[in-house]
Amino acid sequence: MFDHELILRVLGLTVVGAPAALFGVLGLSSLRGKPLNERAIVTCVQSAIFAGLLASIAILAMMLSLGTRHVPIPLGHWVSIPHYHFVFKFEFDRLSVPFVILTFLLCGTIGAFCNRYMHRERGFNRFFVFYSLFVLGMIVTSLAGTIETLFTGWELVGLSSALLVAFYHERRSPVQNGLRVWSVYRLSDAALLLASIVLHHLTGEGDFDKLVSVGTWPEGAALLTESQCLLVGLLLLLAAMGKSAMVPFSGWLPRAMEGPTPSSAVFYGALSVHLGAFLLLRVSPILDASPVLCVAIVVLGLVTAAFATMAGRVQTDIKGVLSFASLTQVAIITAEIGCGLRYLALIHILGHACLRTLQFLRAPSLLRDYHMLENAIGDRLPDLKTPFDRRSPARWGDWLYRLSLERGYFDSLLSDFVVRPFVALFEWCDGIERRWTELVAGGSSRPADQTDPSQTPLEDLQ
Amino acid sequence: MVSALDVCARQLGSAAASSRLEQVIAQASQLLPAQGPITVFIHHNTLHAFEELTFDEGVQAGARTFGCQPYLTEDRYRQELARGRIRLEDLAEILVDDLRERADALIGPLGTRYHLRLAMLQHPLRSGPSEELRWFIAETDALTRLPKKLPTESRERLVRETRLWVLDNLRNGHDHAHREMLTDLLARYGAASMESWSEATWESLALQTLWRTCREGVHCLAAVPAKSPEFVRPRDWLLEATGEDSDRLVNELLIRFSAAFLDQGMAPWTLPHRAEGFFRAFIALYRQSAGPPDRWLSGLAAELDRLEAASIGPLESILESLDMLGVEEADWNEFLSETLLSLRGWAGMIQQMELRADRVRFPAQPGSVIEFLAVRLILERLALKHVAQTALRLSGSLGEIPEVARRRIVQPPAVSVDQRAFLLFQLAQGRGWSAPGLLQMPREVWSLLMREIEAFSSIERRRVFHRAYERKFRVQTLDALAIHGRKRSARVESPKFQAIFCIDEREESMRRHLEEIAPETETFGAAGFFSVAMYYRGAADAHFVPLCPIVIRPQHWVVEDVAFTAAGVHQRRAKTREMIGRASHRAHVGSRGFLGGALITAGLGVLASIPLVARVLFPRLTAMIRGKATGFVQPPSGTRLQLERTSSPPSCEENHIGFTVEEMTNVAERLLRDIGLTSGFARLVAIIGHGSNSANNPHESAHDCGACGGARGGPNARAVAEMLNDPRVRNHINSRGLQIPNDTVFVGAYHNTCNEALTFFDLDRLPPSHDAEFTTFQNVLEQACAQNAHERCRRFLSAPLNLSFAAARRHVEARAEDLAQVRPEWGHATNAICIVGRRERTRGLYFDRRAFLVSYDPLQDDAESAILTRILQAVVPVCGGINLEYYFSYIDSPGWGCGTKLPHNITSLLGVMDGAASDLRTGLPWQMVEIHEPVRLLFVLESTPAAVLKIFDRNPAIKRMCVHGWVQVATLCPNSAEIHVLCGDHFEPYRAEANELRQAASSADWYRGQRDHLEFAEIVS
Repeated sequence: MFDHELILRVLGLTVVGAPAALFGVLGLSSLRGKPLNERAIVTCVQSAIFAGLLASIAILAMMLSLGTRHVPIPLGHWVSIPHYHFVFKFEFDRLSVPFVILTFLLCGTIGAFCNRYMHRERGFNRFFVFYSLFVLGMIVTSLAGTIETLFTGWELVGLSSALLVAFYHERRSPVQNGLRVWSVYRLSDAALLLASIVLHHLTGEGDFDKLVSVGTWPEGAALLTESQCLLVGLLLLLAAMGKSAMVPFSGWLPRAMEGPTPSSAVFYGALSVHLGAFLLLRVSPILDASPVLCVAIVVLGLVTAAFATMAGRVQTDIKGVLSFASLTQVAIITAEIGCGLRYLALIHILGHACLRTLQFLRAPSLLRDYHMLENAIGDRLPDLKTPFDRRSPARWGDWLYRLSLERGYFDSLLSDFVVRPFVALFEWCDGIERRWTELVAGGSSRPADQTDPSQTPLEDLQ
Repeated sequence: MVSALDVCARQLGSAAASSRLEQVIAQASQLLPAQGPITVFIHHNTLHAFEELTFDEGVQAGARTFGCQPYLTEDRYRQELARGRIRLEDLAEILVDDLRERADALIGPLGTRYHLRLAMLQHPLRSGPSEELRWFIAETDALTRLPKKLPTESRERLVRETRLWVLDNLRNGHDHAHREMLTDLLARYGAASMESWSEATWESLALQTLWRTCREGVHCLAAVPAKSPEFVRPRDWLLEATGEDSDRLVNELLIRFSAAFLDQGMAPWTLPHRAEGFFRAFIALYRQSAGPPDRWLSGLAAELDRLEAASIGPLESILESLDMLGVEEADWNEFLSETLLSLRGWAGMIQQMELRADRVRFPAQPGSVIEFLAVRLILERLALKHVAQTALRLSGSLGEIPEVARRRIVQPPAVSVDQRAFLLFQLAQGRGWSAPGLLQMPREVWSLLMREIEAFSSIERRRVFHRAYERKFRVQTLDALAIHGRKRSARVESPKFQAIFCIDEREESMRRHLEEIAPETETFGAAGFFSVAMYYRGAADAHFVPLCPIVIRPQHWVVEDVAFTAAGVHQRRAKTREMIGRASHRAHVGSRGFLGGALITAGLGVLASIPLVARVLFPRLTAMIRGKATGFVQPPSGTRLQLERTSSPPSCEENHIGFTVEEMTNVAERLLRDIGLTSGFARLVAIIGHGSNSANNPHESAHDCGACGGARGGPNARAVAEMLNDPRVRNHINSRGLQIPNDTVFVGAYHNTCNEALTFFDLDRLPPSHDAEFTTFQNVLEQACAQNAHERCRRFLSAPLNLSFAAARRHVEARAEDLAQVRPEWGHATNAICIVGRRERTRGLYFDRRAFLVSYDPLQDDAESAILTRILQAVVPVCGGINLEYYFSYIDSPGWGCGTKLPHNITSLLGVMDGAASDLRTGLPWQMVEIHEPVRLLFVLESTPAAVLKIFDRNPAIKRMCVHGWVQVATLCPNSAEIHVLCGDHFEPYRAEANELRQAASSADWYRGQRDHLEFAEIVS
């Protein structure tokens, strides 16, 4: 047994270590101001992903042959005092192994794709730094055995996603949309952080397996009481909603389509958008303990799915269409989780991620595909009406059309009811601070405010 | 045309204003990009609207209007100067040519105007805000070290003169006036130890004194008056004053709505009331209650209700908006142009959908641009009001915005003393002017010098640089032609094969390789529709496609049929195709929906990983497997064209398809006479059309044949070959004095310029007598394709330089099928020359795939140059358009072109946006133009200057492009190697600079191991 454990441990560390090493190499060389050349980057990416993929498949094979269903790999106690400890721990089980293999498979394919797609692009190195950070975040999140570990990966995914949305930072809208993605992510991060604090408060530790008394995923029962489960569960649900673009946070998903096509494909279409669902799967014992929570999740899932289907039907750009299509499925997956269909949800995630990635990568082929379909059919493409289209009365139809075209007004509602009060509060604080500093300084205290950042153009066009 | 809108406006008594407004809008909308749906990409001059001006005026005016760059940046040109792509003698020539007699004017004691300007071109002159310059002076070694790149001569002179002056001054002390300046410097470095000062100290002292002198010198000059900003759009005033952009609000909504309005079938749920037009649909949608909660839109429903209640039409609404915004009638044009241009891609597309209603599925109603403008102005009013209120705290009328904003705007700084001094400081270093010399200058000279420097502004310098950049290339080209032209040239005697290609510059290398492999072959170039203008529908196509230049509207229809014996198979396969097509369409749409999506993704989704991984990792193999797998549903081989028409008039109906024998004869004769192939026919003549296919590429059509209007020219080659083989056509042609031998056979073919595949048509009709020859010819052509692939591969960084011919062909095949490949081929990139003349004059010259080669025999033309005229009528706008589109898309890729294609997002099945939502991007993506050299197309016509000037006189359109310099023109004398170059409206003789051309044994020898542009060489085998 010892041998097996050692092998599993080495393999497990490879799975986490490969992307970490990749990020280390790419990140450090960029920090030194001497980024690697394209060829070296590609070699690094390919070997790291390949090593990770092989190791994770080997773990799967060993787990199947040994019949183990749970392989924890603790990285030691970081803080350990009475009634509290803080552990970094990775776990391989029926949930995390498929997710890790999926991540390596899709990221590996995208890595190979981007090798040619991003060739000679100025941000080639920057892209792969973000990419490696993203892979690392995904792997850490998938394997997390404690809520703190999960939070670490969750943050890395959020950071790299926002930076990838803003990849073309010389234009205005990628930066704005990147910021929007980032803000929504922060909101969900805050909820996750709160959940982890509450969990620590209640149980003294953040280990997922301590939430569960007996059995491994997906069996097991929560150790918390029903009301405790509901509290933690709602916070986790909020976190999942932000990450998976559920109503009312749906606005960021179509806006995230600013980066290079493959990054939109794998990150928002396939992987990171499923993280919310993954989180709910991970804490499924809590869901089992609280029927109210389950109902809330199902309702949220169905509402989001209905909204996304409707909004998807009026989108005129391919990436918008695909992002709402993704959202529809993610919402259905969420509803499935709420209904307790854990394995179905997992299979649905895997299938959806693969198919959507392919569709996103082929998004620029749309015109040719339509042309070929028209030729095959021998006529214009038929309108595929749903029963819904035939029934809705014209008046309502127009209203719903506008609602869908404007993407449910969620963005402006969020700006009005969340962002504005928030900004107003901080402006008020800023005003107080300014009054105070001016009082202390005895005059104007912030000369920088007066400087005009605008410049005279260097190249005249007169 | 009297539209309902007009009537409405007239009833209300503002007819005069409305019609004036309509004119202004029509004028303003001419500035909009003329690019139609991206599925049929047609190249044209990006600044077509400015062709009335000369090239330089035009690009500069265009740059101001569109906010883009007219030339490359000065830094970029200096790089080209440093690497020898621009030579000093080019700059000198251009300056002399530019200044003429003004070149020798003395600017003070420091040299002539010519020398001053040359120095300004040679030495980088940087500038920046005064704060930045002061920082630069204080914090960098600008005052201690001379720039490393400075010529030693200037460097030494500067230090030497300063040293002499300081020593002299100290000893004799007669220069009291400037003593003060020196005092503290000498104190700083220690005057006592002056004898032991190091070179570095002297260098520093020289720079310090120079900087002080420059500052002092320009200090007392008259200041340049500061220009206060002037705008016509209130949005610009607000933006300048507050940094808040009201267009951002307007554009976001308008992009969504325009995309929905123009959608050609992307969204299953279409815009309600679309048929009623842009304006009505907008009102109907947005005047409903419980609308968008955005603050700036709060008044929209009420405003739309008001318009609806008072039945105000779009034109009236624009008048109303203009009034509310306080725009004077004199400013209408400028205001409306700028307003339209603020979302020019979408506005342009609406205009195209209105004008080319015949080419799209859902056209826009006439007057849509006006309606778009009306809606835009309504939204703009709301956005302006909102921004004015929040950022400017202005609650009055919108007309007050400029006044209030003007008060808020900080006056932009005038050109400061520091900025002027710094300019002079850099120039002085470059020219080796030291402080003592400058100190002698009286104030008038300082002011003269400054005026001279400021007159040669950055934009002027870039213009001169660009001229020099073009000159180097022109000299290289004309030298090659002049030297090569001195050799005796004659047609191939009794050629074994002949091949007629498109004039496309991508076929230049193909023809060259063909001639190298089989010297007994003769090649010709004709516009790739081969005079067959038709609407064409293939056996497996759903629709007719126009196959001819965009300026022609075809009068004939041709369809491809399956031979009678295979009709049954064909029908079965068509049925299967339809079934599969319908099913995959359903799956395609269904996978995005609710239930279908859930079933497909959960049930089959994992299977998608197989094609995903396979297509990304093994593109060529996957494509081959897919080709095999789908082969059984393709139409059976052995199709034929339905080419002959039995009843008139021509139309797309049964029996009205095709051409009459008379019409076929006209087509065939026209082709042969144009290219001068009227005698010396070979037994086999191939006519080869071209096109390109590439995976995952929205701009795929931009690589197709330009002469076929952005489509694939195979059917044209096939049709014209069949016509020429028709015995009745031959009889008719014979009677018109053009003898085609009976044993001459024409074969149509199609060349795929991306994967280098060659397809022949109607081989089953080839007479057995020609079988053996055809096999040889086919092998030769295939070999030429492989070598062509090889030559292309030298420009692909991902293709190793040591590929074999066969490996190169495999490489380009994989490229075409690769989903991840954003540069499947380089298309027209690097195009720079268009030679109209006999192939004998250019055969054996290596043109590096940069020359359009048009076959034309001046000896067979009449005195009026009728053939040349009709060739130029097609070639000047088409090739000039291609070249200028590449020029602009390269010069300012995000501005004139559509930037990098990596974030592109296909929208409405019409075009691409950047990322999630943006203006519709027109022009070419950076990945298509990356290796282009932005030079204007150089036409070399084998004719005499007199004949060409005569053609100009009768064809104002050609004349405008040539004389205004949008293309360059030269003539090559039909009987000698004499060359004339068009300068303005007359020709001047050209004197070759080089005496001989480099030679190579074969093309491959010349380009092997090279990635960059190559000089032209003679291939002597």
